[in-house]
Amino acid sequence: MTREVTSVSSLEQARQLLREFPVVDGHNDLPWALREQVGYDLDARDIATAQHAHLHTDIPRLREGGVGAQYWSVYVRSDLPDAVPATLEQIDCVRQLIARYGDELRPALTAADMEAGRREGRIASLMGAEGGHSIANSLGTLRGLYDLGVRYLTLTHNDNVAWADSATDEPVVGGLSAFGREVVREMNRLGMLVDLSHVAATTMNHALDTSVAPVIFSHSSSRALCDHPRNIPDDVLERLPGNGGMAMVTFVPKFVLQAAVDWTAAADDNMRAHGFHALDTTPEAMKVHRAFEETNPRPVATAATVADHLDHMREVAGIDHLGIGGDYDGTAFTPDGLSDVSGYPNLIAELLDRGWSKPDLAKLTWENAVRVLGAAEDVAREEQGRRGPSNATLERLDG
Amino acid sequence: MADLQDELHTTAEVGPLDPSAPPPLALPESDGQSDDGIGSVLGLPPLSDAGGDGDPDAAPIDRAHAVLAEHPVADGYSGLPWALRHLPWYDLELGESTIDTDVPRMRRGHVGALFWALHLPDGLTGDRAVGATLEQLDLVRTVARSHPEGLRLAGTAGQVTDARNCGRVAIVLGPASAAAIDDSIGILRVLHSLGLRVLTLAGTSWASKAGLTRFGEEVVREMNRLGVLADLSGASPATTSRAVTISKAPVLCTRSAARALRPHPANLPDETLAELGAAGGLCLVPLTAEQTGPSVRDVADHLDHVRAIAGPECVGLSGTYDSGIAHPQELGDASCYPNLIAELLRRGWSEPDIGLLTWGNVQRVLRCADFTAKAAQQRREPSTARIAHLDG
Repeated sequence: MTREVTSVSSLEQARQLLREFPVVDGHNDLPWALREQVGYDLDARDIATAQHAHLHTDIPRLREGGVGAQYWSVYVRSDLPDAVPATLEQIDCVRQLIARYGDELRPALTAADMEAGRREGRIASLMGAEGGHSIANSLGTLRGLYDLGVRYLTLTHNDNVAWADSATDEPVVGGLSAFGREVVREMNRLGMLVDLSHVAATTMNHALDTSVAPVIFSHSSSRALCDHPRNIPDDVLERLPGNGGMAMVTFVPKFVLQAAVDWTAAADDNMRAHGFHALDTTPEAMKVHRAFEETNPRPVATAATVADHLDHMREVAGIDHLGIGGDYDGTAFTPDGLSDVSGYPNLIAELLDRGWSKPDLAKLTWENAVRVLGAAEDVAREEQGRRGPSNATLERLDG
Repeated sequence: MADLQDELHTTAEVGPLDPSAPPPLALPESDGQSDDGIGSVLGLPPLSDAGGDGDPDAAPIDRAHAVLAEHPVADGYSGLPWALRHLPWYDLELGESTIDTDVPRMRRGHVGALFWALHLPDGLTGDRAVGATLEQLDLVRTVARSHPEGLRLAGTAGQVTDARNCGRVAIVLGPASAAAIDDSIGILRVLHSLGLRVLTLAGTSWASKAGLTRFGEEVVREMNRLGVLADLSGASPATTSRAVTISKAPVLCTRSAARALRPHPANLPDETLAELGAAGGLCLVPLTAEQTGPSVRDVADHLDHVRAIAGPECVGLSGTYDSGIAHPQELGDASCYPNLIAELLRRGWSEPDIGLLTWGNVQRVLRCADFTAKAAQQRREPSTARIAHLDG
């Protein structure tokens, strides 16, 4: 009984805290879900109204979850050709969302924009591109994405790119190639954050060696707690204080819970057996997934599972280097209590119960992410004083 | 509200003060300049009231410079982005002999605005077409940023005028190939936001020999809504007449001369010129030996013809420099426009008509595109049409 009372009140405290320091979420795949489900027909998924049946994300639930800034992912699949045009369509989708729901969403390109969004009570909407395939080996295209408002680039998705190894592919260049390092330098010069989720540990280390700006992990958890290649090894987390960057913990059960890792491997095999891509989130694919789940009960992660990761990551990297990246609408399953974007208060309540102080939680939810983007902007100003745009090409550096 | 001004009247903010106008009824003996006096006695109308600009007895080349100083050239096509791509290093401010265009020569040629073509080699699609377009847009932005004294990016008619008034050559982005939008209206919007202002409607499934498909028409409507001009040089006749019909903003032909004079496939037959003129469109005559002929007089013949058929409001110039194409003699680079204008003066073109040809018509079309876009944005949501639905 007393336990229940405390937890209700800590949930209330969490909500209060989030009103002052809302969540900056590092990764949300709503644009891809809109593409796959309705071909960008935004009328068919009016996110001003509840979309529980179709999406993890809508504006009422973002409000309930205390989200103050969102990096919308302009992800496109790395196993399909023509990533660049598909990425531009994703960018257009985010812009259409911002234009359509202008009372709720605010375009954001800078740390100052994030703060302005917080003051206005609108959700600062940033963009991140998920995978180096979106720049098609071209620094000109990278600059084009920056000009269009993209503020982080994940160096790879699930597949390698020619200049960087992915965590979930066979190593080829052994981290970053010479051109890959030039990509990182050009991102520093532009003020685009280097995102190391999805990349191999060798790539993480090479990027940390190269980058003069803080890096982020837009949606990755701790490998010490759950041995999945998508998670961050401790020796990399240890480097974040020196770099100034941050790791944004993700909730995806198959990355945070060891039992779920094993279960997912089996489920993916089942999807492939039915002719679907393992990450397919179309209704037909989800049906197959649900059928598998009925016969093989899914191991359940909870807010406590994610809090375990945060506790560990805090010990290794420090409170100034943590954040949150839910990966909503980019994953078929979510932890109990964090089932959609309305769930963040449950995680904050759990951390309050574990003794996290309010100033610490403010860093986790808001302050670190704003600081990191601002620091990248500072580095960019400095770098632009030193050198112009890079003309390097993959052929010239790696050929 | 610079975009509400009529740009034919340059402001007094830059350049020397206008000399005071001569007294309207000056007697020959009271005029210090005997040339003007003779002109008055002979009853020749003054070509300009701004001093000696239009001095009818000055050498045509001097008059050409004077007229161009007031009505600079808005050049509708430059291949610079692709040409610069292959240069390891260049400085347009100091001058660059390996190309046809640089700031000193544009100043000598009185170029006030330049459309930078983003056309791609044929056959690029998908990643390569869109990626190459992004690279070219990036290159142009980089070039503009690194030549702030000479060049300035302009996205609207007002910005073109502002650049001109600040003594900069206005850079307008486009035309780009239709392939650049990879069959997606979303990508069209994204490229517009990066500055693209002209798109050539040719070489895709939705703008082919058969004309515009339903999706193609939707692209034109979205271009109107955004303020992206349709370029029909190289478009099929079916596409051209359909685009002229449905476009709410004037259409352009960035590189088309008169087919009646020279049977080049990109040149326009008289009926198309007339159609274009009736719709308030604009035919920009290229300075290329292939399309217009090998001499200045050949180019002037085309200009005469297009002016006669389409009207003086519907003819303009496109240098087509740095496109790997041979130019007529005496029109070899961007500094040569006075040679052409001198020829037109010899043929009796009036200063107002020359002003329309070099500058006014392009400004009108850009301004119309801006206003059409503003009006359309009040009435239309961004198009969500997809090619698979409309043409599938």
